[in-house]
Amino acid sequence: MLTLIEKLIFAVLVLATIYNGYWAFYKVYLVIRRGQGEPGDDDIKKRAWNAFVNWVTLRPVWKTRPVSSLFHAFVAWAFMFYFLVNFGDIVQGYFPIKFLGEGFIGNAYRFIADVLSVAGLIGMTYFLVRRFLAHDPHLEFHDNIRLHEKVLAGGLKKDSLIVGLFILFHVGFRFLGESFTIAHEGLDPYQPFASAVSSLWAGLPDTTLVFWQHASWWIALGLILAFIPYFPHSKHFHLIMAGVNFLTKPERPALGALEPIDFEDESIEQFGAAKLTDLTWKGILDPYACIMCNRCQDVCPAYTTGKELSPSALEINKRYYINDHVDKLASGGECELKLLDFALTESAVWACTTCGACVEICPVGNEPMFDILHIRRNQVLMESDFPAKLQTAFTGMERTGNPWKLSASDRMNWAKGLDIPTVDENPDFDVLWWVGCAPAYDMRAQSTAKAFARILKEAGVNFAVLGEREMCCGDSARRAGNEYLFFELATQNVETLNEVKAKKIVTTCPHGLNTLAAEYGAFGGHYEVIHHSQMIDDLIKAGKIRPKKELDATVTFHDPCYLGRHNGIYDEPRETLSFVVSETVEMEHSRNQSFCCGAGGAQMWKEEEHGAQAVNMKRYEEAVETGASCIAVGCPFCLTMLTDASKEAGDDGLVVKDIAELVAETLS
Amino acid sequence: MRYLVCIKQTPDTAELPKISPEEAASGKLSVNLVVNPWDEHAIEAGLQLMENYGGTTGAVTVGEEGAIDALRSALAMGCKDATLVKHDDEIDAWGVAELLAAAVRHDGDVDVVLTGQMTVDGNSGAVPVALARKLGWPVLTGVAKVVELTDDSITVERVVGQARLTVKAPTPVVVSVIKEIGEPRYPTFINIRKAARVKIPELTAEELGVDVPAPVVHMSNFRKPPARDAHVKLFEGTPQEAAAALIDALLEEKVL
Ligand code: SF4
Ligand code: SF4
Repeated sequence: MLTLIEKLIFAVLVLATIYNGYWAFYKVYLVIRRGQGEPGDDDIKKRAWNAFVNWVTLRPVWKTRPVSSLFHAFVAWAFMFYFLVNFGDIVQGYFPIKFLGEGFIGNAYRFIADVLSVAGLIGMTYFLVRRFLAHDPHLEFHDNIRLHEKVLAGGLKKDSLIVGLFILFHVGFRFLGESFTIAHEGLDPYQPFASAVSSLWAGLPDTTLVFWQHASWWIALGLILAFIPYFPHSKHFHLIMAGVNFLTKPERPALGALEPIDFEDESIEQFGAAKLTDLTWKGILDPYACIMCNRCQDVCPAYTTGKELSPSALEINKRYYINDHVDKLASGGECELKLLDFALTESAVWACTTCGACVEICPVGNEPMFDILHIRRNQVLMESDFPAKLQTAFTGMERTGNPWKLSASDRMNWAKGLDIPTVDENPDFDVLWWVGCAPAYDMRAQSTAKAFARILKEAGVNFAVLGEREMCCGDSARRAGNEYLFFELATQNVETLNEVKAKKIVTTCPHGLNTLAAEYGAFGGHYEVIHHSQMIDDLIKAGKIRPKKELDATVTFHDPCYLGRHNGIYDEPRETLSFVVSETVEMEHSRNQSFCCGAGGAQMWKEEEHGAQAVNMKRYEEAVETGASCIAVGCPFCLTMLTDASKEAGDDGLVVKDIAELVAETLS
Repeated sequence: MRYLVCIKQTPDTAELPKISPEEAASGKLSVNLVVNPWDEHAIEAGLQLMENYGGTTGAVTVGEEGAIDALRSALAMGCKDATLVKHDDEIDAWGVAELLAAAVRHDGDVDVVLTGQMTVDGNSGAVPVALARKLGWPVLTGVAKVVELTDDSITVERVVGQARLTVKAPTPVVVSVIKEIGEPRYPTFINIRKAARVKIPELTAEELGVDVPAPVVHMSNFRKPPARDAHVKLFEGTPQEAAAALIDALLEEKVL
């Protein structure tokens, strides 16, 4: 127990910390509120539970880097438990009692605290060694990545060192304090580690032991008091903000589903994000939650092929900018710099394939991809400053309803002679087939459409297509930032779909799937939408088609980003394949960690940004490594990109085929 | 400085082959109508002049009520004002020039009138020249670049066949531009919204005080070129094999 004077001093320090800490935390709240929109409050119980489970189990952390994740868990669990321990220590400092007593609960409490203290110290040591001695390359950035000047000057290392030492000293002294208490009061079987250490102090006089007991208490808890106002400034803040992030994260119908802009609202003067405060509140919360681990950078197809984009650098730059301007932001002041002046380069903005890998992998629930899309909106809607080639796609979608700028009346050319019913010819269809621009217009992808048509006919499905009434779904426009064009296409398409009373829709393109299923809802379009691989899977299982398992090929399936990560469809394409091919193998990156083909995010319509390698080549190399002879895809854009890569690779390139083509080949 | 861009509403280039002769002859088209793609370059040129030399750029068109949409596109691209010269009856290039010349005079002190090199539907390319004739101004055609604009003269680069000429003419002047002048800019949404709110003034031949001359050019036989039996052949195999097959095919067709 503390002396009276110690108690008084500590109480005064606590009050001072509460005052300082309150302002530091309140400022964070004010800064986040500068962002656009409001956090949703729907289903708060579910969110809270989800956030709590994520926070305690560290569920999102385990997706990758198993060793670091384990050591991180040591530190994280120690810290979580230390909320209780610190409270218990204060109680014991003020009152002559053993916190939680010496019964089962008290013993368990001391045992867990003892074990977690040691685990936390080991974990923290691991991280310090990793950063300062082993120089883990995961923690570095390519030279072409824009970084805040303080980051370039070693800011991350400094912050990491401060946080690391704080944890080592806080946990270390608390642990030592227990060992001094044990040396003074006798062994505690429930604190095996502290008891072991206490033997070091055998023979020290009582006064020395008591002195160190008090000193340890003061160092352990004093550090907390000293650290609290610094906390919102440091990346250690992720401990709290990750939880807040999971608690407030918007519920989205798909991983990357975007919020529409209300173009009817005449009061809006800024579309998309030019400055930090134009981002959503989530875009400002994210950098507070970011632990700067670079996991998102590791999985980013743009970064790993040498482009100027790093999603983690984006978050880090935002955070350093916020830290530099926290008072101004909190008091409602204007940001002078644009995001393009400090957060990322223009080339970085246009390098994103919107693959969603950064969103999927982030252990604290950050969504760097959305910032990029909001910046693109500003570039297109406000500045009209975007890669020149996109303009052809835009005018094509605008005028002829497809990004190739081919005549709208050529949309059914692929179907000539195939007797494909349109909604006018077959208004009582069961399933509406949304063919999509690529399967309708792209010569290579047309064979997917033909193959799928054959499957539908063979299975006797009562279907219809929209024919010339189908317009581009608008995905490329939306991902390129042209929200107004998307708004026009979506409005028009929803009107058509509702008019023909579409209920169940099958798409031969995951971008169409994502748009119709997850994004047309905001425009009044609510349908059951499935991908053609799901439909084929259903038809096979229902015995409607009987493909023979005769394709003697080793096939590897490339998960399209908008099918897999964005919409969680992983199994059906694989099951379908298993019905028709002799062997399937997986690539190094598959399912939710699949690697983009390079076409998404409107990349299809522009030159790839400058980098070290083309995204499609990197993906293709992975496929080659599996030893497969065929890459199966479920997306017309993946089909183009991987076919191009295969051609580029030369003579014995792998065959690239859509699942529908593979299945159709086995129908007699 | 004042620049006036003369534009026309035409079908989109991608849709042109889809228009039947009957449709074209009747003038009632079912396809999407846009700003004549050549004229988009003229608008771009007008906006560049405004940015580089100050002043204002306006757009003017002769057409039916629906042509307002083309003017809105011009406004969305950045033109400061727009005028519709309403005319519903049959008209040829000479008549259009008459109306445009009247609109230019009505506009006031115009320094540079800009046009595209032709329209994608009429294809005559006669309007800029006819317009200059009516105005009694010099005309510069095939302009790829404006080198300099002063209070009383303009220096441009014209592309003539393989050559590039730098020529100077006194203003006011009619300038018809080609693609090289610059890619038409894509309108920002802010401008689209602004353009949608603008009330576009309409003028008639009567108000302009001119008589539209009866067409001297009549379309007597409107038809499509016979469909060619064109087909596409893709050569499979390695680049070497494909190249060899391509050469064989070309020899066979007596192209080589
Ligand atoms: S969405 Fe994909 S390409 Fe874009 S930043 Fe994230 S990981 Fe990189
Ligand atoms: S955004 Fe997420 S994954 Fe990326 S560095 Fe920050 S915490 Fe790590």
